[in-house]
Amino acid sequence: MANSEQYSEEELVMQIRARNQQAFSYLYDHYAGALNGVICRMVDEPRLAEDILQEAFVKIWNNFDYYDSSKGRLFTWMVNLTRNLTIDTLRSKSYKKAAKISGDENSVINYQDIVHTSDKMDAIGLRKQVAGLKPEHQHVIDLAYFGGYTQEEIAKEIGIPVGTVKTRMRAAISALRKIFDHK
Amino acid sequence: MEPKEIISSGLLEMYVLGLTTERESAEIRAYSALHPEIMAEITAIENCLEHHAMVHSVNPAAQVKEKLFDTIVKRSANVTEQTKAPVVPIHKPFTSWKYVAAACIALLLGSIFFNYTYYNKYREAGNSISLLEKEKTDLALQLNTQQQLAAAMKKEDDEMRNKWKIEPVVLNGMPDASDSKAKILWMKNSGDVYIDPANLPDAPDGMQYQFWGIVDGKPVDGGMIITTTKEDKYRIQKMKSFGRAEAFAVTLETMGGNPQPKGKMYVMGKM
Repeated sequence: MANSEQYSEEELVMQIRARNQQAFSYLYDHYAGALNGVICRMVDEPRLAEDILQEAFVKIWNNFDYYDSSKGRLFTWMVNLTRNLTIDTLRSKSYKKAAKISGDENSVINYQDIVHTSDKMDAIGLRKQVAGLKPEHQHVIDLAYFGGYTQEEIAKEIGIPVGTVKTRMRAAISALRKIFDHK
Repeated sequence: MEPKEIISSGLLEMYVLGLTTERESAEIRAYSALHPEIMAEITAIENCLEHHAMVHSVNPAAQVKEKLFDTIVKRSANVTEQTKAPVVPIHKPFTSWKYVAAACIALLLGSIFFNYTYYNKYREAGNSISLLEKEKTDLALQLNTQQQLAAAMKKEDDEMRNKWKIEPVVLNGMPDASDSKAKILWMKNSGDVYIDPANLPDAPDGMQYQFWGIVDGKPVDGGMIITTTKEDKYRIQKMKSFGRAEAFAVTLETMGGNPQPKGKMYVMGKM
């Protein structure tokens, strides 16, 4: 179901609100990989990850009226919904999320082994650059973005005061922004 | 807070990551509506994190999309099953078949019309039921989270109190100043003393409140209470430390204080 049609974010939101399945298909083609990437970093079993991804999109479709564009971009809403769903699933299955995201640099390399994207060249290059971030920056982003950790959990995991998490996150994301801005 | 301070605090990053509290999020939304530069910063952070997720994409198997659309299409198709138009039995041949045919067509059209209307109503009702159900579960979930949060906060609070052995002492007004009141927090581990003088009357010009600890029956200077900041007149402030004390008191003294209390005593609290 590949779509040749292009939508702006505004149109896309409007079309999906109007229950246009074509537009939803476009949304899936565009964002499923990115959301799946987040899930795969949190879940070890590929089958379970796929179930979560499917469930996430069913939720996105059913709860679309709850998305409020004045609060932020569509992807931010979708990724937060997906992350919360993944955490809920893992908790309900009494999983421990600690195993997947660990502090050592190996976690990045291990993870890259399981990546099988059909990405363009520049994504691979960029991924290398992201992997070249300072470990302290990499770690804090991973814990929040791919680990679903709360502020307190991040502080505990890294061993810094809760008050420092915000400034650390600011520095980490600023470093990340530099990479994407200078590409 | 100034927009610049908010931007550099890291709070907006936490907001985009969904790591702020409900209250913080509401505040940020209010700020971003007022200050376009905050909104622009939020969008920049969102774009960065979206980019980051895109770069780390993992393509899902093709079956996932098929299953997903099966689910979605089936759900909407369930509602589409229509009841068939009732058949009108004709027992006796009428004089003219034209009337019969006309009646049949009229009945059929009527039936189609009603089916259509009721189907729409049915669908609307179904939609609002599922919306309400969803709202109900969402609310139950929210309530649950709030309860957990409240329990966690209480636990933290208790832990803090135990850890620091904070002793709150209320200093009550003396008989001739019964409206006055002050509260102190005494950290027994460190000896630090904080006072909340919010319920002391305004100090007259040239006068200032002085804090005393009573040690071995004698008053010991505990420092001057600042009551002159323009906007918030009184605020919680740190006083001199006391390792031990039988009581604490506040008197009204000449500006700068006295080595021994000379003025009127306003509040006192025994340990």
